[in-house]
Amino acid sequence: MQAKPVIKFDNVSKTYPNGAKGLKDINLEIMPGEFVVVVGLSGAGKSTLMRAVNRLHDITAGDIQIDGQSITQAKGKQLLEIRRNIGMIFQNFNLVKRATVLKNVLTGRVGYYPTWKMVFGLFSKGDKQRAYNALQQVELADKVYARADELSGGQQQRVSIARALTQEPKIILADEPVASLDPQTTKHVMDDLKRINQELGITVLINLHSVELAQTYGTRIIGIRDGEKVFDGPVASADEATISAIYSGGEEANG
Amino acid sequence: MKTSTLPDAPRAGRLRKWVLWIALILVIGWSFTGMPLLQIKDNAVEVAGAMFSGLIHPDWGYVWTGDGEDLVSTLLQTIAIAFIGTFISAIISLPFAFWAANTKHKNWLVSRSGKIILTAIRTFPEIVLALMFIKAVGPGAFAGVLAVGVHSVGMLAKLFSEAIENMDGGAGESVTAAGGNRLDVTMLASFPQLLPEFVSNTLYRFELAIRSASILGIIGAGGIGTPLIFAISARAWNRVGIILLGIILMVTLVDYVSGAIRKRLV
Repeated sequence: MQAKPVIKFDNVSKTYPNGAKGLKDINLEIMPGEFVVVVGLSGAGKSTLMRAVNRLHDITAGDIQIDGQSITQAKGKQLLEIRRNIGMIFQNFNLVKRATVLKNVLTGRVGYYPTWKMVFGLFSKGDKQRAYNALQQVELADKVYARADELSGGQQQRVSIARALTQEPKIILADEPVASLDPQTTKHVMDDLKRINQELGITVLINLHSVELAQTYGTRIIGIRDGEKVFDGPVASADEATISAIYSGGEEANG
Repeated sequence: MKTSTLPDAPRAGRLRKWVLWIALILVIGWSFTGMPLLQIKDNAVEVAGAMFSGLIHPDWGYVWTGDGEDLVSTLLQTIAIAFIGTFISAIISLPFAFWAANTKHKNWLVSRSGKIILTAIRTFPEIVLALMFIKAVGPGAFAGVLAVGVHSVGMLAKLFSEAIENMDGGAGESVTAAGGNRLDVTMLASFPQLLPEFVSNTLYRFELAIRSASILGIIGAGGIGTPLIFAISARAWNRVGIILLGIILMVTLVDYVSGAIRKRLV
């Protein structure tokens, strides 16, 4: 029996106000539990694709459904509730550097609280424990009360993984999560993501520069060139010719 | 490897340099024409001698008399004026700063109008504000507090708004991605990032306010300036001496403490 896709793109396009095309007519179905790697040149639209999923960027045509619910049409509270089921990890970690690791991880729960409680930072005991559990998953339990900027780059990225885990999301989006890390830390972060994918069954959609990493960790590869989907298939079927086709064209072709 | 000789600097650059130098010399020359001829009073040497002797023989008896008009009391009053004034202005500055900050999600006209208002506030020197407030609330420390408070808003809100503009938006984006609304972003990401900078700017402003508060008493707005102007009028140089010493000590101390705190914040 075919399961329902957890992310579904229907003829999605995005045109920037200056006329540049970010995404061109993309159709995509991602099933629960997949580890999907998006590859392509810088500026090809990988980040735009990521940010379209949780609507950090609005699309200009088409429809995106998360778990059967249109995020494109979602309004106000509805949008926030869809978003809290999608964890996100960023290239630059996006932590509040002066705050403690615990506070940063707790931010993942923001979608479950009324705003007035956030004004006073009133997180429940249960959520603090949840945050601590997530930190244990990424082996950073001992850093729970450290300031985020005392940690190394790799550790900061794992804090942001813990923040996403605390959301107890169905999907994790990772936008170039290892682009600013060295090879050892890259492996650690990628292993964490893979483990989360396999043990917790969280769907992972990730952007990577490196084809090697994509082939090592992914179950499926999507190639993006100039905002268009030029390849979509299991890792094994992505041979050298396919890869070089994804990376051909150069950067001058898009803005 | 064959090397070639360094080419001459571009002509346009040299010409501009000469024009700037000539303009500077002309402005200096013009400024001198506005000055009256140098005049020295006949008793200048005598007065200078009396002042100097007063400064090296300060009136120690004035340090503490217990009547509330002595050095320690008026210095403390000066600090209080500067502190309350700065504190009030820090709070008033917050909404102004968010108004004037030129951020992505905002029409530039909005932030421009905010910036213009802040510049307008800054153009009023504290002493002018104090004169106006003395007319409104009568002479005394309260007029000084209002003058310091209002003038500081112009500068503090500008510094705050720059901190907001330079803030890294990434942490806020992660709160949005987790399902937070705009107020959540402000409370969980923006404020924690901005607070140390706000406090640091406020302390710096407090250091400057101490200096202004020392002067405001001269026109009757409370603080150490009042006994200073009385002592100068009465040519009581020994008293002037002890007051100046007191001001130097206070300013140095406040700068040191506030500087130490600011260093720890960043």
